[in-house]
This record gives sequence, C-alpha cells and structure tokens, in this order.
Amino acid sequence: MGGAERSARKRRQNQAVTRTAPVAAARKAGSNRNPVIVGVLVVVIIAAAVIAGVIYSNSKKNSTESAAIAVQQVSLSVPATRDGAVVTVGKDTAKATIDVYEDFLCPICGEFEKTYGPQIEQHLADGTLRVRYHMVNLLNDRSDPAGYSTDSANAALLAADAGKFYQFHKSLFADQPEEGARGWSKDQLTALGNSLGITTPAFAAGIQSGTYNQQITDAYNQARSNPSLQVDIGNGQTGFGTPTIAANNKTIDTSAPTWLTTLLAN
Amino acid sequence: MCAGSLATVTKGTALDLVGTLFRLGLAGVWLVSGWVKASDPNQTYIAVHAYDVLPSGVVSVVAGAMPFLELALGVLLLVGLGTRITAALSCLVLLAFVAAVAQSWARGLSIDCGCFGGGGQVAKGDTRYPQEIARDIGFLVLAVWLLVRPRTRLAVDAVVGRRGGV
Repeated sequence: MGGAERSARKRRQNQAVTRTAPVAAARKAGSNRNPVIVGVLVVVIIAAAVIAGVIYSNSKKNSTESAAIAVQQVSLSVPATRDGAVVTVGKDTAKATIDVYEDFLCPICGEFEKTYGPQIEQHLADGTLRVRYHMVNLLNDRSDPAGYSTDSANAALLAADAGKFYQFHKSLFADQPEEGARGWSKDQLTALGNSLGITTPAFAAGIQSGTYNQQITDAYNQARSNPSLQVDIGNGQTGFGTPTIAANNKTIDTSAPTWLTTLLAN
Repeated sequence: MCAGSLATVTKGTALDLVGTLFRLGLAGVWLVSGWVKASDPNQTYIAVHAYDVLPSGVVSVVAGAMPFLELALGVLLLVGLGTRITAALSCLVLLAFVAAVAQSWARGLSIDCGCFGGGGQVAKGDTRYPQEIARDIGFLVLAVWLLVRPRTRLAVDAVVGRRGGV
C-alpha cells in the first residue's frame, strides 16, 4: 500500500515535470522564432512599400494617357514652309529673320514661348518678323518613356506639311509635358493634328513611322557643332542648348525683355 | 566587483544611447531623402537616368521604387523594428549609392547625385563627388553600427524579442 502510494506520488510528480516541460520548450523556441518572424515582417513591409510605390508612381505618370492635348487656335495668316527639319514662318518681305532652336520637352523653351510667344506672333502677323523654327531632339531621352522630343518634332514638321505648324507648335508648348514625365504619345499627337483640322492620312502614318526622325537628328547634330550657336553654359564653358535664338549667325541674349524690339529697330 | 559590474552597466547604457541616436539619425536620413524623391517622381527619374547605368525601362522602375524603399527603411528604423536586418539593407542600398556615384566620377560624367532631391546633369565644374561619397560613408557608419550592435532604446525590437534586434 505504502509503496504503491509512493510510486503514485512519484508518477504524479513525473507527470507534473513533463507537463511543464513543453511550456518551457515552447517559450525557448518562441524566443528563437521571434527574430525569424520579425525578419519576415520587415521583408514583407519593405516589399509592400516598394510594390505600392511603383504602382503609385506609374499610375501618376500615366495619368495623362487618356488626356487630350489642349488645342490652341491662331488667327495668323502668314506662310509657313518646311525645308528639311526647318519651318520658316512669316512673310518674305520681313526685315528681320530669327532662328529659334527649341525642344518640345525643354521647360525653358516653354517659358520662352510663354513670355515672348505673343510678341513674336504679333510681329509675324504685321509682317516685320520671320522666324525659322528648328525643332531639335536634344532631350530625347529625358521623357519616360524616351522619345518624346523626336516624336513631337517629327509631328510638328508633318503638321507644317499640312499647313498647321504654328497652331501645332503653340499647342504643344502651351500644354507641355514635364521633363522626366510621360510625354504625349504618337496617338495623342495625331489626335491634336486632327483637332486642328489635319485629315490627311500621310500625317497619321508619318507620325507612326517617324518620317523626319533622321533629318531632325542630323539637324540637331549640325546645330550642336555649329560654333556660332555656342552659348555660355556656366563655369566659363560653352555649349549648345535650348532655347537658342540667333539672328545673322549670332546668338541673342533673350534675358533682356526688349531684345525683340531692339532687333527690329536695327 | 560591484564597481566593475556598475561600469559594465553604464557602458552598456551608453552604447544603447549611441545606438538609439544612430538609429533615429539614419531613420531621419531615409525619411527625408525618400520623401523628397517621392514627392517629385519626374525629377527622380531624371536623377536616376543621369547615372547612365540602366536601360530607360529599368530606370523608370528603379526611380519609382527607390523613394518608397527609402521611406520603408526610414519607418522601420524610426520604430526600431528589425533593426539589424533594416541596418543590413541600409548598408546594401548605401553601398549601391556609393558605387553609382563612384562610377559617374570615374567615367567623367558631370551629374548631381540627387541624393536629397535634385539630380541630373550639372556643369563640369559643379560636381561634388568626393563630398557626396563622404556623406554616404558617414551614413554607412551609422548603418554598420546598427548592424553590429542593433540594441537600442525606444525600439519595438526591445518588446518583441528581449535580446533586441534581429
């Protein structure tokens, strides 16, 4: 009896020991498992942030996908003729001719157009000024995806063939994409032409195939290596940039607001 | 003996405080640089593009992801969750930044690192490669400290695992 009681007590004691053992083991395992859980959690948090970020950035970038380029109509009735990658706007009898080198993606070109566009338009209309527009693709790799500079310049030259260069040019600068942003697509450029009344199939086909792409690139390379078009780009260095305005093979400093009136007065 | 253990405790406390400062400092760096980049995605694209390393399709993805990677690292360090693994990732990202700046310098590109916004091409004399690398190495010191000794005060790690950090 006594022996059985002792052994029963011992069994209970053993049971008690084995009963507490799993808890201790689990507690021990738990302290080892925590770092793993935290590690996984950290990786998941970072992956989620990155994926959400990419989706957010993309949707923000592509927000202009379904938009239409705002149409700028003009009441300018002067000739605009394309020769290679240059479009000359204005009357032959104008006493002054300026060369304007621009890239449709270049923000300072956009500012130039905003500031001096109306003045230029007025002098084009009254026949005192003629402008040779050189649309270059200097910033071709600065849109996302790359290629907007070339596409837009090509489209503008095709618009010139259809007699709508000035409106097309004005519309693109008035509704300009930012550098690093998504540019207007070929379809959107085509739609702008259509809104301006260009209905020729050659226009849409030319935008898709890039009719003047090579001529634009060649003209840009020529301009870039033209010594008379080099301007001060800071630190005592010179280079070609946009916008560059030139007359009589000399660049004009357009930071003085009266540059155009001064030019026309002489 | 009493004095000895007291000195150990004090030293441990001091190291904890240094680690805490470093953790919050590095968190601040990531949060500021991530926020500046996230709020101007176009500029970030130009900055990444200027390094002239990746094809433009990849530039787009990297420029989209990087600000949010930085923000995530910043938030994790701020709350002190997974300090060791976050510090390890910070080291990798910082080393990648140093490598990117170094290759631009070696190849004679003239760009701004765009580390805290900005970025893209600059005039030839306006590059600051040594300063940019030195700054990144400074941040790297903070990250390496936390990688080696992730134990800090005011951290979620201290609550999750009593030994602090992963």
